[in-house]
Amino acid sequence: MIARSNRIALLAVPGLAFLAIIYALPLFLLLFKSIQGAEGLTLASYIDFFGDEFNRTVLWRTLRVALLTTLLALVIAYPTAFAMARAKGIWLTVFLVALVLPMSLGVIVKAFAWSILFRSNGFINTTLQAIGITDEPVRMLFTETALVIGAANVFLPFMVLPIYSVIRQLNKSLPEAASSLGATPWFRFTRVTLPLSLPGVVAGSAFTFSLAISMYVIPSLIVGERQQTLSMLIARSFLYLRNEPLGSTISAVLLAIAIFVVLFSSWLAGRLGARQ
Amino acid sequence: MKHSLGRGLTRREMLKTSAFATLGTLAAPSILRAQTSELVIGCAGSHTAWMESIVTPHMKDTIGADIIFEGTKSSVNLEKMSSNKDAPYLSVVQMDDPVMIQAVEAGLLTPITPDAVPNMTDLRPDATHMDGMWCNYVQPWAGVAYNTDKTDGVPSWTALWDPANAGQVVIPSLQNTEGMWTLLSAAMLGSGLHFAQAQYEIDAAFAKLEELKPNLLTVYSTMSQAFNLLEQGEISMLSGNFSSYTLPRKAQGVPVDLAAPSEGIFAMPSGICLVKGGPNPELAQAYVNEMLGPVMQAAVADFASSVPANTTVTAGAIVPEGVPIYSPDWSFVASNRAAWIDRFDKLMAI
Repeated sequence: MIARSNRIALLAVPGLAFLAIIYALPLFLLLFKSIQGAEGLTLASYIDFFGDEFNRTVLWRTLRVALLTTLLALVIAYPTAFAMARAKGIWLTVFLVALVLPMSLGVIVKAFAWSILFRSNGFINTTLQAIGITDEPVRMLFTETALVIGAANVFLPFMVLPIYSVIRQLNKSLPEAASSLGATPWFRFTRVTLPLSLPGVVAGSAFTFSLAISMYVIPSLIVGERQQTLSMLIARSFLYLRNEPLGSTISAVLLAIAIFVVLFSSWLAGRLGARQ
Repeated sequence: MKHSLGRGLTRREMLKTSAFATLGTLAAPSILRAQTSELVIGCAGSHTAWMESIVTPHMKDTIGADIIFEGTKSSVNLEKMSSNKDAPYLSVVQMDDPVMIQAVEAGLLTPITPDAVPNMTDLRPDATHMDGMWCNYVQPWAGVAYNTDKTDGVPSWTALWDPANAGQVVIPSLQNTEGMWTLLSAAMLGSGLHFAQAQYEIDAAFAKLEELKPNLLTVYSTMSQAFNLLEQGEISMLSGNFSSYTLPRKAQGVPVDLAAPSEGIFAMPSGICLVKGGPNPELAQAYVNEMLGPVMQAAVADFASSVPANTTVTAGAIVPEGVPIYSPDWSFVASNRAAWIDRFDKLMAI
């Protein structure tokens, strides 16, 4: 008789088969392409990629934008998640709808909306001039700042929801116990609440960073071709330079970064969980 | 021995069901595409308006074809054809001449012949290329699009470089075919030669392009977004734009116009080809025949302010008088384009 755990594991067969065909196999072929040379296996494509200053600049920009996007999303998401965790009834519904509904709006529509906001005669510049902060329009279109703001806007739900789910399950009696022992609000937050919410922060940051580092449409529309990211370089290599080894190499570099982020965040979440 | 998974479901049955479900899912597109009246056409994203309103209903009425069009860049169409070379799903592709040359070199096209496509005999002689591998169906002309609220016109290509236009200019990436017009203008201005000779002076072109950087707001690869900036007055000039895009917007009352700089304008190379081994070959030939015929030529040329390729048709765009119109050496472009894109991206990067 087959063991019960094995029988349940069979339920994963369709999903695993799907992933093996649609994800793992193409990925393997892509990685193989990156080390395939005319005379056997070679790391020449990697040497070419890292030896080109343009590629290194793009790699650094991609990492910087992903990091800043994650930080901005975290700063906005953390208090929002607290507010949601405290909200009840209609307010909780309002929060969730406000968070999830914009996800149904396409990135292209959002990009056009941001371009209206960021224009020299757009809402932000008009407001800045009306309240006297600037005398003339500040250039915001096609800047890295606009990209970080736009990306944080798109990925915000992926930061808020993991933090919200952790905070919602916090044992409320712990901060209360700290308070009864004379702890100040700041002490309660930094020594009790914040450490307990860190697994959610780690999960949300891993989600957001992984999405931000691989985004393609958002930078294409918001900063254009003069500030390329790794994903834009991949498309450029395959579609326009018709250089498959280069495209495969950049894909492998991007994948390595994503795997590192996932493994590191899993390790960090495990460590934080063990400490608690 | 059968192992039961819950109520009456055996392991073997479950594996069999999963396998059928997976195969069914993967096979579904082929089953759906097996309809004989369906034609998948690759074309430019900017063709969407007239493909939807003119071509699709006409093809249904005349040849009974159900048109599914995939609008994207010529290079992306080439990649789709190349990736699916063994089992093409596109029947016809409408894309630019330099990419057609690459498609011919990769063995992705099958010739258009007068026997199967009689209307090709009515085309201008220069509209049929490489023994019928592709034909130009309409040709828009390209110049500099400008916002009429911000400037009175663009008399010369030098206006793009004018310091007064700092931050007011957007140019296409070389990934887009229309990006070639700014490169050629830079070659002409940088070398001091006419376009016909200047097109080979690429070092002079890149040196001149570098001088353009202070005037650039951005470099686009998505034209609709860049055009939106022009319409809204965020920029005053959009280099390399063409009649089939700017003039219909002007006709709708948008404050834009297309300038024909005195040094010369360019003929956009809009081609149509048959995909080698593509589905429904007879229907695909009938589609191409209709596209080259007088009814479609007149309708598309009028709608898209373009010059028809069929000599029996008098319709479409009025090419500005007194301004020379150039068509570059596309084989030279095709053989160097990848290197130019790489150089251009590195030059323009900030």
